[in-house]
Amino acid sequence: MNYTEMMHQPIKPILPKPSQYGIDPSLVKTRVSEMPGMVSLYLRELFPDLPPVLLPGGPDAIQNVRKAAEESLMKVDMSMIKPEHSVNVLASHHGFTLFGGEPYAELLKAIKDVVEKRTGCKDIRLRAGVGMRFRETEEYIKRYGLDTYYNGKAIGVAPIDEGIPIETEIGTLYGIKKVYDADWIIHAHHTDVREVHFHRQVDKAVKPFGMSYARCETRSTYHQNLGPRAANFTARAIFESKFVQSKFAFAAFLNCGPHGVIGADCDNDLYALNDRATFVGCQLYGKIMTLFGEVDKCIAVLDFPCPVPYVFSAGVIYANFTGANTDLYDMESPLPPYTWYTEAFYRKNGQPLLEDTPPMNPAIKMCVHNYAWTGYPSEFFSKNIPTVVVGEEQGKLFDTDSMNIGYMDYAVTARSTEQAMQFAYNVTGTDKVVIFDGAMGGMNVSESLAKLLIDKAPEVSERVDNVLLPKWLKQRGVDISILNKNK
Amino acid sequence: MKRVTLLAEVQQDVCRGCKVCEKVCPVYAISVTDRKANVKADACRGCTNCESRCPFHAIKMVKREEPFTIGVDVSKYDSGKIRELCEKAHLNPEQVICYCVGVRAEEVAAAILGGAKTPDEISSLTGIRTGCTIECIQPLLRLVEAAGIELKRDESGWQWYGVTPTAWTLPEDVVQKYNKRGFYFEEDKELLDRVVHTNPEGEETK
Repeated sequence: MNYTEMMHQPIKPILPKPSQYGIDPSLVKTRVSEMPGMVSLYLRELFPDLPPVLLPGGPDAIQNVRKAAEESLMKVDMSMIKPEHSVNVLASHHGFTLFGGEPYAELLKAIKDVVEKRTGCKDIRLRAGVGMRFRETEEYIKRYGLDTYYNGKAIGVAPIDEGIPIETEIGTLYGIKKVYDADWIIHAHHTDVREVHFHRQVDKAVKPFGMSYARCETRSTYHQNLGPRAANFTARAIFESKFVQSKFAFAAFLNCGPHGVIGADCDNDLYALNDRATFVGCQLYGKIMTLFGEVDKCIAVLDFPCPVPYVFSAGVIYANFTGANTDLYDMESPLPPYTWYTEAFYRKNGQPLLEDTPPMNPAIKMCVHNYAWTGYPSEFFSKNIPTVVVGEEQGKLFDTDSMNIGYMDYAVTARSTEQAMQFAYNVTGTDKVVIFDGAMGGMNVSESLAKLLIDKAPEVSERVDNVLLPKWLKQRGVDISILNKNK
Repeated sequence: MKRVTLLAEVQQDVCRGCKVCEKVCPVYAISVTDRKANVKADACRGCTNCESRCPFHAIKMVKREEPFTIGVDVSKYDSGKIRELCEKAHLNPEQVICYCVGVRAEEVAAAILGGAKTPDEISSLTGIRTGCTIECIQPLLRLVEAAGIELKRDESGWQWYGVTPTAWTLPEDVVQKYNKRGFYFEEDKELLDRVVHTNPEGEETK
């Protein structure tokens, strides 16, 4: 295929959503993908070995996700759940930001229905954990009708809610009491990689036990006490505790790639599922991540309804793009350019404490913050990457966020998207643009960047398959032959 | 150091006196009397916990008419003692321990040297744990503990539950058992130690 055949009309980005964490959607006047010179690349054209997806797809895409979930749920053992028991279906906020949110919500609905049908159990509740926006999953529960679907038994839970001590092999950690207030728990998650800078694709499938299902003490253990490559052990320690094992029924995952929903994966053995998720995370997402590392200079545009670090392009979050100048999967590199441990180790003079700390991706010449939410400490980004925020309303919103009092100390404001982009073009001298707008199945970029990515993709694909993937899997103790057996 | 721009405001007609706000406030700025919550304006550090967890949405955050800045002047304390306390807690004085507010370990150490004895007192003075209120609780507790102050949990609240494991307390058998599964325990401990023992001139001293 030539350039013209591979460049398509921009994909419609995820729409702005009403939320207490973002500006009123009516204030988002222009999406950057609508501007002149923007095209989309389809990920399966860049990387033809990506598996086919159920969603995005035709009008029956959601029904197909539902069908895949039901089929996978029929294969797990639910015999431990008796009609008189109670069950907590555990969800996390991030699932609702994937591909518009409906696929994950559909998985949660399917779990309730299949468990009810197969076990006769009626007391099934939804407990949805959050990141740092404590009302976030309450908003999702309402948006996707989950409160009604779960007969009023759906709640958001936060890391400052009442806790429960959990004895683990490394000592006492703490979970959220309402997560564990049932006879059984079902871990409803997904294979999307999201924060590779934090979990480094080590035990990613287990992570919520140390994060969205956990109290602040545990989350702080992860982000402050163990180190950047040992952090995710907090999750495994909790999951392996006698307490959690006594309640764990099974895991139900939305099987996602950077290009869409591939299917569903349910298993009573979370570690078997974790190995498959590690493979997906390293191989499918690893190719896009590595390709992003080939970008020499660009303007990064934030244009998605979630906090600054979590806006998506091709399954990669902005936080990971700021580290794309390094190999985030390589465990030999201790500190990614951005992760909280790295941020912690910057001195008052703005220089890192350790000389070998890699800088934030120098290819990002400017960030145009067209539309992104508050609710996550983001000052480090505006402090280290020149940032233009569109509209005074957004700046004001950040000024009233307790986590972002300093974000606008370092960012400048433009009155319109058009002016912000023109400013970025003028100052940076590049017309390469990557838009983090959640475009499903592909990525919205400028023509000039599209050409670079098209040129680089074949070599990147080969490098990941032949050099990087074997190294990444070996570093994580994942045996490919076991994966094949588990398929 | 934090610029306090927000204040929690209770809508008295909506409040039902459930006391959740009391249990989640990191600085004890809100309390319930006669089945209604009341905010001590001077004590509120604008973290939004009460607003975010009120089951009845009875609390909103408003802009303060007169914002103010809180913080502890590190230069007023012996830098050697600050470093000693931080290193005992396995922290570098310059390291950021509160990502939202930007509070560094040295400021918390200075607050403790100045007489603060509890996590809530330290939060009130420095602003630590008044952003997300999640991620900085452990280094805060570690510093208090390193100062030899006994931590006493408030059993009636959910402010904090206890100290948790660190890279320096992991059992050896756990380290050996899992280090082939991608957990780089020893290497990370070494990295953290390098950070702890980097001096103000940028030299690694151990």
